[in-house]
Amino acid sequence: MNANPLVPIRGRIIKIVQETPDVKTFHVSTTGGEKPFAPKPGQLAMLSLPQAGEAMFSITSQGPNHLELAIKEVGQLTGALHQVEEGQECGIRGPYGNGFPLDYLKGKDLLFIGGGIGLAPVRSLINHCIENRAEFGKMYVVYGARSVADLVFKEDLFENWPKVENMEVYTTIDRPEEGWTGHVAFVPAYVEELGFKPMTTITCGPPIMIKFVLQALARMGFNDADVITTLEMRMKCGIGKCGRCNIGSLYVCLDGPVFTLEQLKKLPPEY
Amino acid sequence: MKEITQKMRDTARELLSSGQVALVLGWEKGYPWYKSAPTFIDKVEDVERLVFDEFCHNNLSKYLLDLAAVDGKVALFVKGCDSRGVNRLIQDNQVKREQLYIIGIPCPGLKDPDDAAGKNWGDEINGAVKCQDCRFPNPVVYDLLLGEKVPAVERGRETRELIERLEKMKPDERYEFWAGQFNRCIRCYACRNICPACNCRECVFDRAVPEWLGKANNLVENQFMQLTRAIHVAGRCIECGECERACPVNIPLMALNRKIINDIEELFGEEPAGLDPEKKTPLGRFELDDPEKFM
Amino acid sequence: MLAIEKKRLNELLRRMNRDFQVYVPYLENGTGKFAPYQEERELYLEMNTLLPPKDIFFPQTEKMYKFRAAGNELEIEEIAEQKEKQVVFGIRSCDAFSIDCLDKVFLSRGYEDAFYKNKRENTLLVGLACTAVGDTCFCQSMGLNPQEAVGVDLQVLDLGAEWGFKARTAAGQELLAKYGDVLHETGASPLPAEEFKLKVEVEGVPEKLSRMFDHPVWEEVSRKCLGCALCTYLCPTCHCFDVSGKVKGEEGYRFRCWDSCMFSEYTRMAGGHNPRPTKKERVRNRFMHKLSYFVERYGQLLCTGCGRCLAKCPVNMDITAVIRKIKEAEVE
Repeated sequence: MNANPLVPIRGRIIKIVQETPDVKTFHVSTTGGEKPFAPKPGQLAMLSLPQAGEAMFSITSQGPNHLELAIKEVGQLTGALHQVEEGQECGIRGPYGNGFPLDYLKGKDLLFIGGGIGLAPVRSLINHCIENRAEFGKMYVVYGARSVADLVFKEDLFENWPKVENMEVYTTIDRPEEGWTGHVAFVPAYVEELGFKPMTTITCGPPIMIKFVLQALARMGFNDADVITTLEMRMKCGIGKCGRCNIGSLYVCLDGPVFTLEQLKKLPPEY
Repeated sequence: MKEITQKMRDTARELLSSGQVALVLGWEKGYPWYKSAPTFIDKVEDVERLVFDEFCHNNLSKYLLDLAAVDGKVALFVKGCDSRGVNRLIQDNQVKREQLYIIGIPCPGLKDPDDAAGKNWGDEINGAVKCQDCRFPNPVVYDLLLGEKVPAVERGRETRELIERLEKMKPDERYEFWAGQFNRCIRCYACRNICPACNCRECVFDRAVPEWLGKANNLVENQFMQLTRAIHVAGRCIECGECERACPVNIPLMALNRKIINDIEELFGEEPAGLDPEKKTPLGRFELDDPEKFM
Repeated sequence: MLAIEKKRLNELLRRMNRDFQVYVPYLENGTGKFAPYQEERELYLEMNTLLPPKDIFFPQTEKMYKFRAAGNELEIEEIAEQKEKQVVFGIRSCDAFSIDCLDKVFLSRGYEDAFYKNKRENTLLVGLACTAVGDTCFCQSMGLNPQEAVGVDLQVLDLGAEWGFKARTAAGQELLAKYGDVLHETGASPLPAEEFKLKVEVEGVPEKLSRMFDHPVWEEVSRKCLGCALCTYLCPTCHCFDVSGKVKGEEGYRFRCWDSCMFSEYTRMAGGHNPRPTKKERVRNRFMHKLSYFVERYGQLLCTGCGRCLAKCPVNMDITAVIRKIKEAEVE
């Protein structure tokens, strides 16, 4: 970490995984081959190609010597990132944000709900729970995307996670597709269909999915304090100074991105 | 002006109570006493807020760009320059004439609010520079005219003299002059946002991709922004002078706009913008015999 | 009290400018602003400057780091400006308090902004008491004393024919000692400030606003706003910034520059979603930030009553009128 929090350190993209046609996961180390910093699950990183720009991304996972950021191609910087090859050097700074409330989650059964690229921040917590399996109760993952091609982290979804003890993984796609024998439904409907009893839930996905997931969870009797989500906002500094990611008096980069539904209901609906 | 104010209120009351219009755009007294501000009246009981005085600077035609949500006709008060703004927006298909009820006010020339700062009501206040050599004090389009038409009077030549001074300069000196002006620009975009000729849905300066204009405040970017703006409103500037009034750091923007108008009129003949809503602007049409002095 | 004859002030400033970079208020093309001291220039001490002194600490455009990107490789080099000791002479109470607000933003809550800190730590503030009160001044209503600035090292008082000096910190004491030979002891007493023409009652507003997010008043208040950044750029407390870059071939630099919550693209995300899509949300956020959110977060208002926005807003948006509307508004 640089002494000046607004100046990145040099990083190197050591591995790139094509997740879907428009999502790639970038493994980032320092140029010395070390992990740039040690984030908590749910925290964020500012990644830059200084020629193209800098933006905030959730850290989806980490290894002993690297961080993983799953990035969808939507704008100028992400477009440039999707062009680079392994070995590309970049700027990185962080970690930012509060991360998931690990102490609160300990010993609890957990339901993870994700849609599209929204699985990226949730995955950091799922991986943490798997690594510290004994500290958590039963784990359920419900994840969906528009199509099979749009499902991210397929190896985790279909290989790694189903093998974990006391962990169930449910995947779904929006519309039927040739060769897909799994479930077909929108994520909120699938969650309701699966009929979970109220427990602590961590959810992230496109705004429209979140909206309907929250409605479904409310119908199913889930407690607002036990519904946890992560928000996305435009950010520039990452350290609560530049102003634009405020929701009421809170800054998403500093006080978020993780909020419970109970907290969100007390904030202006400006996100 | 008290009479005009009374007529404004009576007219607005009549238009709103009869249901002829859903909204009246006018001016109300602001603070300090030498400020009058745009106001939006949609209830009969609010018509008493309306005023006309020598500080009613705002060209209300700018707000016609926000009318999508208004259900029904809109009435607005216009001075001479403002009325040309209305025509301009009609010309650009930004608003339909049928949706408007235009109430014209012959303009006696306004006062400079900056000169009034610190003074009291009744003190001698300088006239606004932007009104010194107004060519069209009387509205050029209206459904109703309040008061008698007034003659165009030259009250001063500040802007014209500056242009004459600039024209006599060598290119390097002229560059130095404008560089000194644009160096002060704080890039607040008040000049753009107040201008009824700036009616792009998305301004080129607001686009991040591609980034035509950088966000840094320095002479290069400031000049690029100000010259782009001046060229963009060329042939469409209706000389309301609001950009210059709005500028917090006193950049003489009207000298630039007026110089371009002079050049256009010299090349294409006198064709002030916003007089004829049907006709295409000199720079917006192509004719085989267009002058090509620059070739 | 130590004092100097008004006509001899330049002697003091000249001396001071040898030891510090001194910023003083000047009038330039009719615009008051703080600029580096120049011996031959006439000071502007009649009224406050139109441009606030915040850019001395938080420049409108500030380079942060240089980079070189060639092939796969990237070099990053911080642009660390080692600031010399400086003095801001003639800061008014409203602007001194704005520096206090900026300190809260840039120097607290987990992260220190190194660029700001560097300048702030090396700067002494010399307050200047107001005697004339502008038409749009209302610092008193915001709880400030126009003759006694918060957080300054030295307070200058208008004694009629002399400027009087009162040390407020040890550093201010040192300044007085250092230049004691051009000062003399005086018995003159300070001229009082004029009566404020503009007053507004702000008591209870922050709390009330926290229940007014959905109030129709925002539709009414925002309607005339043009969405320019004039108010935010003239505001001594507004501190939002953007980070951007300039590239030339393989080299470039990243910089930050003032940004404004009034601009539509301010919160617009790469995918197109905008949490504050219309001027209603943006105007509401601006007033909420100044009068409620900042109070919640840092315990003080983010408006110092300097009146610049009111003096210059091209549509006469009046924060005191907004405060009055909030006070009058009916809330469930």
